[in-house]
This record gives sequence, C-alpha cells and structure tokens, in this order.
Amino acid sequence: MNTCIDIEGEKDLELCPSSPYVCLDNVSLSLSGKSILKDVSFSVPATGIISLIGPSGAGKSSLLRCVTLLYANWQGAISIDGIATSAWRGGEDDLRRHIGLIAQKPAVFPASIYQNVIFGLSRKERKQDQSELVEQCLHQAALWDEVKDRLHSPANTLSVGQQQRLCLARALVLKPKVLLLDEPTASLDPRSKQLIEASLHDLARHMPVLCVTHDLEQAQRLQGQVIFMCDGKIIEIAAVNDFFQHPERLEAREFLRWSVCDCD
Amino acid sequence: MKVFLSLLALPALLLPLACFLYVIIQALPALNWELIVGSDTTGNLFGDAPNAGHGLWSQISGSLLMMALACLLAAPIALSIALFHALWASARQQRLLMMLLQALQGIPPIVYGLCGLIVLVHLLHWGICLAAGGVILAVVILPLLSSNAIHALQRIPVEQTESAKALGLTSAGIIGRVWLPAAWPGMLTGLLLAMARALSETAPVLFTATVFSGVTWPDSIFSPVTSLQTHIFYLAQEGSNQHAVDVAWASATILLGLVVCFSLSARFLRRYEESV
Repeated sequence: MNTCIDIEGEKDLELCPSSPYVCLDNVSLSLSGKSILKDVSFSVPATGIISLIGPSGAGKSSLLRCVTLLYANWQGAISIDGIATSAWRGGEDDLRRHIGLIAQKPAVFPASIYQNVIFGLSRKERKQDQSELVEQCLHQAALWDEVKDRLHSPANTLSVGQQQRLCLARALVLKPKVLLLDEPTASLDPRSKQLIEASLHDLARHMPVLCVTHDLEQAQRLQGQVIFMCDGKIIEIAAVNDFFQHPERLEAREFLRWSVCDCD
Repeated sequence: MKVFLSLLALPALLLPLACFLYVIIQALPALNWELIVGSDTTGNLFGDAPNAGHGLWSQISGSLLMMALACLLAAPIALSIALFHALWASARQQRLLMMLLQALQGIPPIVYGLCGLIVLVHLLHWGICLAAGGVILAVVILPLLSSNAIHALQRIPVEQTESAKALGLTSAGIIGRVWLPAAWPGMLTGLLLAMARALSETAPVLFTATVFSGVTWPDSIFSPVTSLQTHIFYLAQEGSNQHAVDVAWASATILLGLVVCFSLSARFLRRYEESV
C-alpha cells in the first residue's frame, strides 16, 4: 500500500494533487520480539489534518514515534520533504527539530512559561530577546491571553490543559515542517479540547498535522482524512465523512460499531 | 495487632535515641569548645597533666578532608555510571550493573581497607596518607552514590526526556538541561548520605590513612592524617585513663553530630525534592 492522501478527500496514487510531504514506505517495528508495525506505507501532503484512529495497541503512537525517530530499531524508509530521514544532513537531532511532537501527557520543564516556550532554541537564540516569537507561538497555541501577564511564572503552575497548549507553543517555536500529536486532548476539559482543535485547524493550513485520537467525535470535528489502523497495519484510509458514513473494510465497520456501543 | 506491632517497633526507635543520649552524657565531662577548636596535643592525654587543654581540630579536619576527597573522587564516577545506565546500557547491562552495585555495598569495609593497604600503601608505595584514605573511602561510597544517582535519574518522567528529544536536543543537551536540573536534589541527597557514610567508616582509613599522633594538618595529600574515627579507636583502648576515655566519648559525640547533620540534611533535601 502506498497511498497519497489528499486533503480534499481524494485518494489516488497517480494523481496526488500536492507532492507528498511525509512518506512512509514499508515501515515495520518490533519491540521485545512483538511486531508493532507491519509494513506501513502512506504519504501525507503538505497541509491538512489526518486523524489516526484504531483500537488500543494498533500501533498508532508507535507510528508517530517512528516518524520522530524516537525508536531506533524500525525498518523501512521515512522521508520528509523528499529527504530520507537516514540521509538528513544534520542527523537525527536536527531532523527532530523539524517535527513537532506533542505527547498525550504534557511534559513541561521545571522553568518559567517563557523559558519553556523557547526551550528548543539554540543557546545563542535563547540569550536573545524572543518576546515576539513567544507571543506569536502562544497565540497560535491559543494560550497567550491566559498567560501574557505571567510569562515568568513557573510552567508547572498552569492547568493540565494550559500545559498541553504550552507544549504545542514550544513545538511551534521551532517552526516544524510537520506536527504530530499523540492523543493531545485525552485528559483535557471540553474548553481546552476546543481551543486545541481550533489551533490545529489554523496550523493545518500551513503544515501537515497527524493526530492520534481515540475520540471519534474529535476525529469528525477535525475533518480532513482518517487513517484507520488495527494490529500494526493500515486498514483503511478515507475522508472523514466517507469513513464514518460508509466504512469499506469489515474491521473498520466493527470498530465503529463497538465505539458507538461504548459511547452509548 | 496494631499495639503488638507498635511495641515491636518501639525498640527500633528508642535504641538509637538511647545510644545517642548515653554517648552525649558520657562525653559531657570532656566536651567543651576548646576541645573542638583546639589544636592537637594528644601527648597531654598520657602525660602528667591529664586535665591540660587539648583539641580535636586535627581529627575533625582529617575526617572532613578524607570525606571531601572521597566525594570529589567518587561523585563524577557515580554520575558517569548513572548516565551510562540511563543512556547506553542495555536492559541486561542495567540489571548486571545494579547487581554489581548491590554486591559492592555488601562487602565489609575492612576488606576494602586491607585492599587499600596492600595496593595503595605497599604496592604503589603511597604509604599511609590522606590520598590512600580518600581513594579507599571513594571506593566504599561509590556503590551508594551510584545507586542514588541512578534512582534520581529514574525518577525523571519519561515524557520530559521524550519531549526534550523531540525538540531536537542532543544527548548532552538532555543531560545538561533536563536530567541534571531535575535530578540534582536526589543526587545531592545521595551525596550527603555518602558523606555521612564516609565519615562513619573506620577500618578503611585505619589501614590506609591515619596515625594516632604527631599530625596536625597534612602537608600534602601524601601525608598521613589523623581522624575522629581512628582517634576513638585508639583512645577506647586506654580504659585505665579516665581522661582518655572521656575524650573518646567527646570524639564520638562530635562524629555522631557530624553524621547526623549530613543525614538530616539529606532527609530535608529529599522532602524538598518530593514536594517539588
């Protein structure tokens, strides 16, 4: 399978309207002898939101970690902006600066809000005044209004929802080429969810956003595309509306049926 | 059941307290400020003037010097071991390392002292000196320091490390900007406990570093020193000389005070660490 996903909802190997920005080709991963990902291949265009859904243990989070090169023992090929990760000139650390990863549990560093936002910048950049950049990124993460008067307060005094948006701002400071989110709103209140989703919609106009979620309603709200994974494989790729109204594969239909039962 | 278990636990609480009080009471006749800050006049203990003033400053400074040297030598090695454990060791190597550290902690200190005597004092011709005592004490406290450093690093949330990696930080950046700032209270706690342990070890320094008298301040690290631990050991053998025994109790009180200071500091630091 090597499918190019288009934000408008068309799926076509030959007629991909925008050049694929992130490409995974036969990516496999085994951890402790257990196969986590099995020959996963897909391409992501330069803009738009893609929701990764599937049951627990399907390999969604592992897939994000493979793209971020946080696992060392994966096989296959991953390229970003046409450059294979193995051939990236600056090495793995430099590559990661171009990939924004937001984990499920926000991890703020024991420093001020301001220092957290600029954490990923180089030493030289951190020594310069980055107030404008910090403000811009906090705006993008929908957090500026809540923290503008206490930028130098410890970051761990923020609520979990605010910490998650701070992590988003911290990733955005590096101007990533792609944004990966691993259940970013799993433990957040509805307002924080709404704010993060609004930010993702804005950001997806400029970069590809790949979001793992167990919240099917959220996947529908995010629009864009859906990749349904099960047992380490990609089962179905479709536009959101198509997937939820007319899932093609039996596994997807079963998953949606169970999920609806769970919701009830 | 609760009362029964409480009664069983009571001796564990009261016994150290009773020992501490007994040592202080025994030390009272000799304990005074002059004894702590006075320079060494060990000869007076056995001379014609048993009540003449003399001090333990040389012993206190000798003990503290050896402790400081041991910590200076052991701390960077312990940190390196902890970083190797966290960064590069495979799961098997990690298990092996922890097993080794536990085994090293179980070795009787006198065995370390004997090894120091043979290798450092005789084979390397260092002689009885501060350096030999510091090195042997460093070996004694290394497992404790390493284990504490490893546990301090393990307490850092995985998410913080992953976030730092995802931001493109190099291994050095992660160590310097995430791990050490987060782990320093735990590591400092371990260091304080190790200092207390180094102060309380007698056998290793008895064989390698200390003499009873004739030393005030070492000329170099290859000069012998005198220490509180060995001073108590020598004085305790002078059972017939009441003044010597009193000074032994006073030395024990000062040593106990120093050890308790380091242990309590470690305890307060751990409480601070847990509250952050």
